[in-house]
Amino acid sequence: MPSKAPLPKPMHRLNYTKLTEAQISAALRPVAAAGPAHASPLSDEFAGQSVKIVTDNGPTLAYQFSSDTRLTLSENGGSAVAAGYGALVHEQICFFTHLIPGTLRGYAVVIDRDTKAATVVEVWFGGFEDKREVMREIYQGYVETAGSPAPTKRHEANNRAEGKAWYWKQDNGWATLDYWSTTAYTHWVELSRQSEMGFSAPADYIQISEDFYIYTRTECEFSGSFTLYVADLNRARQIGMRLGFDWGDALDYYVFRGKGEWLGQIAQFEKFGDLRGGPLKPNPQSTGQANAAAADSKGARAVYRPLRTMTKLTKAEVDKVVKEKTRVFTNRLGAGNGTGGMGVHALPASNFLIGKRFTLRYDSGLAMDYRVESIDSLSWRKDGGAWTKAIYQAFEPAPGVILFGHLLEGEPNHDGHSIVVDFDAGLVTCFNGYLNGPYIANEAQARTLFGVIEMEGVNTPLYRRHQRTYDLVGRALTWNYSPTVTSMHLYSTPATTSWIIFTADGAGGLEWSGPGDFVKIRDDLYFAYWLEEACNGTLGTIVINMRTMHDAGIGYHCGSDGLSMSTVGALGRHAGKFDVQRFFESRKA
Amino acid sequence: MSDESISTRRSFLKGGAMLAAPLAAMGAPAAALAASADADERADRLARLEDEKAIRALHGDWMHRLSSGDRNGAARLYANDACAAAVAGIAAISPGPVGAQDALEIAADGRTARARHAATVETETVIAPDNTLAQMLHAQGEGTVRSREARMLAADYVKTRDGGWAIAGLAFETV
Repeated sequence: MPSKAPLPKPMHRLNYTKLTEAQISAALRPVAAAGPAHASPLSDEFAGQSVKIVTDNGPTLAYQFSSDTRLTLSENGGSAVAAGYGALVHEQICFFTHLIPGTLRGYAVVIDRDTKAATVVEVWFGGFEDKREVMREIYQGYVETAGSPAPTKRHEANNRAEGKAWYWKQDNGWATLDYWSTTAYTHWVELSRQSEMGFSAPADYIQISEDFYIYTRTECEFSGSFTLYVADLNRARQIGMRLGFDWGDALDYYVFRGKGEWLGQIAQFEKFGDLRGGPLKPNPQSTGQANAAAADSKGARAVYRPLRTMTKLTKAEVDKVVKEKTRVFTNRLGAGNGTGGMGVHALPASNFLIGKRFTLRYDSGLAMDYRVESIDSLSWRKDGGAWTKAIYQAFEPAPGVILFGHLLEGEPNHDGHSIVVDFDAGLVTCFNGYLNGPYIANEAQARTLFGVIEMEGVNTPLYRRHQRTYDLVGRALTWNYSPTVTSMHLYSTPATTSWIIFTADGAGGLEWSGPGDFVKIRDDLYFAYWLEEACNGTLGTIVINMRTMHDAGIGYHCGSDGLSMSTVGALGRHAGKFDVQRFFESRKA
Repeated sequence: MSDESISTRRSFLKGGAMLAAPLAAMGAPAAALAASADADERADRLARLEDEKAIRALHGDWMHRLSSGDRNGAARLYANDACAAAVAGIAAISPGPVGAQDALEIAADGRTARARHAATVETETVIAPDNTLAQMLHAQGEGTVRSREARMLAADYVKTRDGGWAIAGLAFETV
């Protein structure tokens, strides 16, 4: 059963053991014989029965169930093998799972008692670079009934489930938020562990009927564990299983029942029946798919593995590339100066700051003095030190609100400031990016600084400050950076930004996520960031104007091509909002 | 070049009429010669028609291979490496737009030909995978920008040793 103890580090920072086949085999041996653990009573639906399942392009499985915990299986007419199993039934949905003793594999089977249609999911430890990650192959078929023709109806992978979110609490006490983000990916939050962040993983969504869907999640790039459940959409009930090794290498193999809540439905932008977003096959030629399996191999799926392909630099290498290759707002006065076209829809550069002198006094004690000389040149000094010239870029996302950014040349950690100043309110918030963090030297880290502006003509507040906000928690906003590049942000927790990449037809595809922070600047105006931790290391900062649905942003990144600060800008659409804020209210300071 | 083409090149305009020689004005003493010339003319015309047919088929085959992603297959139709370079970034090509006229001229010696094909060209530009968003686009099999526009394709052809035709030059002109 799952441990509810908080993880020692966030999930993306853990070093998961590369388990050997022998280690996995030893751990599986007892549970293969005994069957999965369970908190609720197992069903005796199958006890005493023989069931033959025929799949369209996969195995034929002949089962004999001697009790509610023991079965024998003959695969494709082969020798019968005895194993332990566990079954659960909900309405007309019958589910059972078992491992095959002496192997690293097993099955999960979902049968609709009314139609006799069956989904067979073969699972095995064998994924990717070591055996830890659970693989899956899904077969559609039916339960053979003597004297009756084979049914033609099958369960179906489609995009009908996309865009929903659920709160689930299993009978073992394990609670999660599950976002059914795209037809290829899911995003989940481990409430039981008080996880600050949500994470993203490849998924399957298979429709059984209007009421019932099969959901799978493989926690690739994390523990590699596999979860499968059948969700009853109307009754908000689930039955399912989990198989895998947790972060401490303890084996989880259990079945569960769960009760939940439907948390909402956000917009879908592709046509019904469009499966271009998923299930996705791997594209081994692409960056981020290192060592991907061939697209037609068993169990193959597209998995985003960014940490594997991210360029990782040492502190010395960072110092070198910063010295030799720093690029700040290259082509800064024209459209398209963002990396990879992320600035095509940027706001025009603002001349608001030209000629102004002011001090940004942060509550941390940092004082930054500024003299702004032109539309792209300013001088700054820190805590009364020497003046330094810097290239900057400013935007005015709302009247009197200026977003501007610059690098702090000479700082040991190569800091960059992305700053929002409300000249009407006298308030400032800075997302301070910096390098040389504890994990990867060129991975951006971020701290949030609150403060005030001191300038002639501005009434500087003594007590008021910008505040962190939960307003965006649960929101999904699509950001169109250029005519063909769209990402949807899903702010899944108060500290998470997840991003979903759209296909050309508007279907959600791959998804990933990182830490986020969210500050309210004015009504309907927010300053937010996403941090690509363990994923290319970029800090993306944006001012979200919910009235104009246009953001203005600044990116901060260090790689082998140097340190860069670049323009970001996108046109937005509101995809909807999930009812999830309440799950985090108790965490407010 | 243009004067020479008027006097020495045999011209075919798709959808237009071909000019016949003014035979009716010939006298009897010239009949034998005329008969011989007539036979040559017919053979020449037949050869020309066969060449035109072969080049049109070559063009259609080339468009199909290029548009279906069979770059290697398309390359087998080229007489030189420059042709492959000329279609870099082009994802698909189709005839048209409707109403546009193609022109084909075969040199007098029948060894080379030059054509102008109206075409709709679909270009594909790869988004540089220099950030996470672009990398994820590539990982899901996308990461390119496609656009369509009408172009005029100027194509050169050469007769091969086996009597067939190969593409010797490709140049796209904006219209």
